[in-house]
Amino acid sequence: MNSKTWMVVSLLITCLAAGFALSEVYAVTKPKIEQQKVDATNSALSQVLVTAQSFKEIEKDSLWYGLDQSGAKTGIVTRSGLRGYGGPVPVLVGLDLTGRIVGLKVASAAEGMKETPGLGLKATEDWFARQFVGLDSATALKKEGGTIDAISGATITSRAVARGVAQAIRKYSEHLKP
Amino acid sequence: MTTKKPSRLSYLLKPIVRENAVLILMIGLCPTLATTTSARDALGMSAAASFVLIFSNVVISLVRKFVQPSIRIPIFIIIISTFVTIIDYALQAYQPSLYRVLGVFVPLIVVNCIILGRAEAFAYGHGVFDSFLDGLGNSLGFTLLLVVMGSVREFFAVGTIFGKVVTPAWYRSAPMLFMIFPPGAFFLIGILKALVAKFKLDKA
Repeated sequence: MNSKTWMVVSLLITCLAAGFALSEVYAVTKPKIEQQKVDATNSALSQVLVTAQSFKEIEKDSLWYGLDQSGAKTGIVTRSGLRGYGGPVPVLVGLDLTGRIVGLKVASAAEGMKETPGLGLKATEDWFARQFVGLDSATALKKEGGTIDAISGATITSRAVARGVAQAIRKYSEHLKP
Repeated sequence: MTTKKPSRLSYLLKPIVRENAVLILMIGLCPTLATTTSARDALGMSAAASFVLIFSNVVISLVRKFVQPSIRIPIFIIIISTFVTIIDYALQAYQPSLYRVLGVFVPLIVVNCIILGRAEAFAYGHGVFDSFLDGLGNSLGFTLLLVVMGSVREFFAVGTIFGKVVTPAWYRSAPMLFMIFPPGAFFLIGILKALVAKFKLDKA
């Protein structure tokens, strides 16, 4: 075999071997990885709706029913990702059966929040999320006629969270309102 | 003049401090500075990089006779990225919290200068066992440095080491927070490099 042919063949063999090894590893780890993702989602969901024992996904990655032990609904959790300053701002909102907000979680930087540290990233702090808990009607920032204090220097992020919450309340009236 | 063949032990021992890739050659700085915000993350990062370094060194040494010089780099990269993808899947499956912290630095091990550097400078021209020793030595050097940096930064910025409280409460209420930020990493690696340089000068 001349050297040019061998060049091609040796690259081909390397790629085949690498591809085979990776497909084996992928097959072994894939169910584990998916299980981890489900666990992570479930633990985030139960943080915003503590009364639920399990969750049933209604719309992929955006709406869940919380169920108690007997399988009765205890509320809903929605996920919205409205555009902030650096990208979508993922917000999980838990509402009980009466449509009251019982929990709110803005994703941390490690969970895909891309707002500016020191400004928009402050939306992940507790005091900001706590403003929404207990509300049951559409939420808006103070400067837009609502009741929510915006974060100084991060109006766009604050608005993305407030509108995400308003969206959650609309979802509640579509799905659960008696 | 006869040059003495370096002993096998020196393959293992030299890269730990005397020829430490980061401190002496100043390569592989990116993960060193970015993932040493706590001792645990530093250990996770260096374990992942060590796995790739040792296995890629061994495999490249195994196949070196069949690899033509003109296409050696693509073949090295394929071998290295295969091991990186394996460790990437493994971390996602078994250590998801560590994976979230290390983030993009796991896939970036592919272009870690230490790994490609050892493949090119050592494994391509040495036997399997020697390459294994060289990979192990460099891994130990990298791990030692990262864990030292992670521990020192965590100690000053948070007041803990590996999450264990080691400072009095008055310190933890107002720690030197800047050590956990990028300037702290540059500051610390400067000090370590100066210490190693002094140690080497004194010996010479």
